[in-house]
Amino acid sequence: MPPRRDEHAEAYRPGSREDFDRLYRTAYPRVYRTLTAILAEPAEAEDCAQDAFVQAFQAWNRWRPDAPAEAWVHRIAVNRALSYRRRARLRTVAEVLRRLGRPAPSADPVDAAIQPDVLSALRSIPPKLAAAIVLRHYHGYNNREIALALGVSERTVGARLKQAGERLRALLEPSFSLGAHSAFPSDNRDLYAKD
Amino acid sequence: MPKTDGDPVGDQLKSRLRAELDRVQPQWSAPRYLSPAPQRIGAWRLGLPSLVAAIACTLALTAYVATGSPNPAVWTQRIVTTVVPNVGPESTPLPTPGQAPSPHAAAPAPAPPTEGAEPTPRSEPSEPPEASPTPEPGVSPEPGDSHDGEQSPFPSPSPSPGDR
Repeated sequence: MPPRRDEHAEAYRPGSREDFDRLYRTAYPRVYRTLTAILAEPAEAEDCAQDAFVQAFQAWNRWRPDAPAEAWVHRIAVNRALSYRRRARLRTVAEVLRRLGRPAPSADPVDAAIQPDVLSALRSIPPKLAAAIVLRHYHGYNNREIALALGVSERTVGARLKQAGERLRALLEPSFSLGAHSAFPSDNRDLYAKD
Repeated sequence: MPKTDGDPVGDQLKSRLRAELDRVQPQWSAPRYLSPAPQRIGAWRLGLPSLVAAIACTLALTAYVATGSPNPAVWTQRIVTTVVPNVGPESTPLPTPGQAPSPHAAAPAPAPPTEGAEPTPRSEPSEPPEASPTPEPGVSPEPGDSHDGEQSPFPSPSPSPGDR
């Protein structure tokens, strides 16, 4: 069962060091998991989460309690993840251009086998859509809180949730139709042996 | 948890999302916000010399544009040479419209050559043209003949009583 928000943890005082420490202990795992759905590598998620808390700590005096503190940190973290992915995409383009004419490295089959399907699908859709899905269906935010966390209107949140759901279903429906996955593709070798 | 409105995501997808994200274990490294930001200190250390260098470059560029010389020694000399001639009493008079502008107006005038003199060798113009000890006719050498009320350095001889 995923950890749900503690309503009593929202009584934060701006500028209080103890309250920010409490916010870090409460929100860091949740922010980290949100970033895991956007970024591919755990190290990238940790880096962005830590940077987001550094930025939030520097602005902690200016935080207003009218918005949930965790949603505020989420907003900073998602924005950092978006910037990180943008830069990573540019690096990828540069790497592709640099390796033009060379054989592409093959993906590790072990990594492909243990990669969770839903997280892979989330990382393949636009990160704003992925963030909305995680905030809604994992963290339990409502539309208003998602709007505060992403800095958009509630109408935009509804549109993003609908679009993200449709794209995820399109990506994952073949796997759902197949039922539960086996852990290793080699388990299916009996089928090929019969042929 | 609030009820979602018009949710296109099925329950199976939600449960799988939760299961997969629950398996993610956050990496609890030391909170980065507790450590002092080294970037700010580094930026401040670099910023002050950069500011000083920028001001020095601006001043040097301004002086270069004003004097037209990249030599810093000229930047101060130019100020002196432009101020001193304007203060002194021997400032160069402005050329009158009747006079032809001479490029050597400010330079000391050479000795005027004698009238009708042919171009002579180099040593001749240095000689004073009026070097003859005999006075020219028409010029009264007598001291008492001074006019226009000019005071002569020599006392005029008093007229003798017999002259009257």
